[in-house]
Amino acid sequence: MIRPPDVVDVTPGPMLLSGIADGPSLAAHRVRQGPLPEADAGALLAVIAPLAVRGRGGAGFPLARKIDTVLAHRSRRPGRRPVVVVNAAEGEPASAKDSALLDVAPHLVLDGAVLAARALGAGTVHLVTSVDRPWAGAAAARAVAERDDHGIRWSRHEAQARFVSGQARAVLELLSGRSGLPVTSWVPESMSGHRGRPTLLSNAESFAHLAAAVHVGADRYASYGTPQEPGTTLLTLTEPAGPDGSFGGSSGGSGRAGVDGVPVVGVRVVEVCHGDAASQVLSAQALANPLLVGGFHGAWLSPRDVPALRWSNAHLRALGASLGAGCVITLARGQCPVEETARIVTYLAAESAGRCGPCFNGLPALADEVRGLAEGADTRRRIAELTGLVRGRGACAHPDGTARIVTSLLTTLDGEVEEHLDGRCGCRALSTVGAA
Amino acid sequence: MSAGAGDVVLRVDWPECRARGLCAELLPERIVLDEWGYPVVLGPVSPALQALAREAADACPRRALHLRPA
Amino acid sequence: MTAPLLWYLNRGTGIALLVVFSVTVVLGVLATGRSSTPLWPRFVTQGLHRTLAALSVLLLVGHAVTAVVDEYVDIRWWQAFVPFGGTYERWWLGLGALALDVTLLIVATSLARARIPHRVWFAVHLTTYAAWAAGVAHGIGIGTDSQRGWLAAITLGCVVAVAVAALARVVDVVRSRPRRSVAPAPSTTTLGELFPATSTQAAPRVTSGGASTRVAAPTGSRR
Repeated sequence: MIRPPDVVDVTPGPMLLSGIADGPSLAAHRVRQGPLPEADAGALLAVIAPLAVRGRGGAGFPLARKIDTVLAHRSRRPGRRPVVVVNAAEGEPASAKDSALLDVAPHLVLDGAVLAARALGAGTVHLVTSVDRPWAGAAAARAVAERDDHGIRWSRHEAQARFVSGQARAVLELLSGRSGLPVTSWVPESMSGHRGRPTLLSNAESFAHLAAAVHVGADRYASYGTPQEPGTTLLTLTEPAGPDGSFGGSSGGSGRAGVDGVPVVGVRVVEVCHGDAASQVLSAQALANPLLVGGFHGAWLSPRDVPALRWSNAHLRALGASLGAGCVITLARGQCPVEETARIVTYLAAESAGRCGPCFNGLPALADEVRGLAEGADTRRRIAELTGLVRGRGACAHPDGTARIVTSLLTTLDGEVEEHLDGRCGCRALSTVGAA
Repeated sequence: MSAGAGDVVLRVDWPECRARGLCAELLPERIVLDEWGYPVVLGPVSPALQALAREAADACPRRALHLRPA
Repeated sequence: MTAPLLWYLNRGTGIALLVVFSVTVVLGVLATGRSSTPLWPRFVTQGLHRTLAALSVLLLVGHAVTAVVDEYVDIRWWQAFVPFGGTYERWWLGLGALALDVTLLIVATSLARARIPHRVWFAVHLTTYAAWAAGVAHGIGIGTDSQRGWLAAITLGCVVAVAVAALARVVDVVRSRPRRSVAPAPSTTTLGELFPATSTQAAPRVTSGGASTRVAAPTGSRR
């Protein structure tokens, strides 16, 4: 079980994070952004659809299409009124952007939720944070208490501290008073979600983008980013300290003080424009090593491709990766991606909800084989067998994501894997008996 | 296999499935069991196999097998 | 109307029902097992269970009808359904009526299986054990032949078979329970321990209180 970071450094950014130095209060937010505009469904869609604003929970589904679906399935009957859910459960420990947003710019998120609720005719907005980030829940509560949106009822929930707690159906189960674990979804929640109602469920950053697009206008929003991917995106950068204890990137950041004052791991949330060069925010050490993009369900990038990396899905797709929820993890000097993948997969296997046979059987078996690989045994054939067996055979994408990071290790970093098996990579796993 | 006209798709409700294995016995043309006893769906169900597929769905003690339009 | 035939039919359906219902229950338990062989696939056990269950219902209906129609003993038609208020052997008859009611409920839910949630179907299906027990008690108490040795032996055989099957089911359920989702252990590892730095210092635990984000000083624009 991995705890999320206790302290997160947030760097001011061009749009979502532009006003954070002024504090999170509603007054400061209104000074900066102005009053909340009135926008019916048509006006809202007219702004965000051309901007191709996508959900930031990992799947990247176009927000406009979700809203369209909710509109198509709503009615005024008491049981069919739509519902808005802001998902900041953030089950991935390497992701901190939604929690950070609630702490430093909550009213941008809440503005987005209110805009969506008004356009859809929803009366309730549910806000979900996680039990192991109590500061995010407290910040959300403070922000909600400041607001006076007419006709909107706020409802706060706390999800369990599990990796799968942030999954959409798991969140809906939590809202219904059930276990907060994923179940099979026969139709998208925008058609039938919370208590069968059309539900707009998106993560906190998505709602912030919605509000930002409406506040600053489509033209200014599109002035950031690329024509194909307008706008910005939040990244959570997890980086071990360099040998001198500092962290990389021109944005600074100083991580947590370790024993004797030497920082160990720094977690930073930054806002980048789509298409920006990764070298602007990553240290030289990060640029010279394999990079994990997309968090624990993401994909490895080869050191060959990292120096020229750009934060755009078009660029990343060509490398077999995608931005996902924007978690980027760098390795420390001397760390081996095989060993790290083994640790991550062991963690992911333990985080299975235990409901779907292929997952709670297949992931521990996969973790065993990847640990075997880390210890020097060539288990690649069995690994390929297992990744094929778990993909698509679960109620949620947990097995698919786990298969993804393992497959990317074996394909993108095949050279590093060969080096490791030959004993040439010099990592600690081969010199000590047994892995973590 | 890709779906043709009139095909239906077999979908498993994974949290409900308990690897009882009746589906694979009744529709071996489209369902085999993995090493832990859980069903692997091999492809869509043509109209010729649909009666058998419906039997397989009906036989599941947990009602975990469903037929859906392609 | 009365005739010895009705009485024999009533007794005959009752005894046949005892055996067939007991076999149905045992097959139901066997159907939950995981083992199968090419000679005896699981769907055969399930098919037999369903078929014998249907046969049991037919026998039950015949048993109740013959009891009501036969005027030798005064059993009104409603007394086949309502477990109290009867005159002839009130308590034993009531148990039979109870068994019939529960059986009807089980049949109804099984026919509507596709439309009701599995949990509901399963909960009702569990009451089969109660229906079976009520039926057996009814037979022992009200049955004309229950003193005869051969029937006592048959009854004992059925009771033992169902008891063993039920026990095996309970053992199986208890043994397979812990396999499912386990509550996560309290978090002890930090993200830093997952990615250890080159130093060997353990990652500190920073207790959070107050703001846990630090806003860094603004830097120049990075467009």
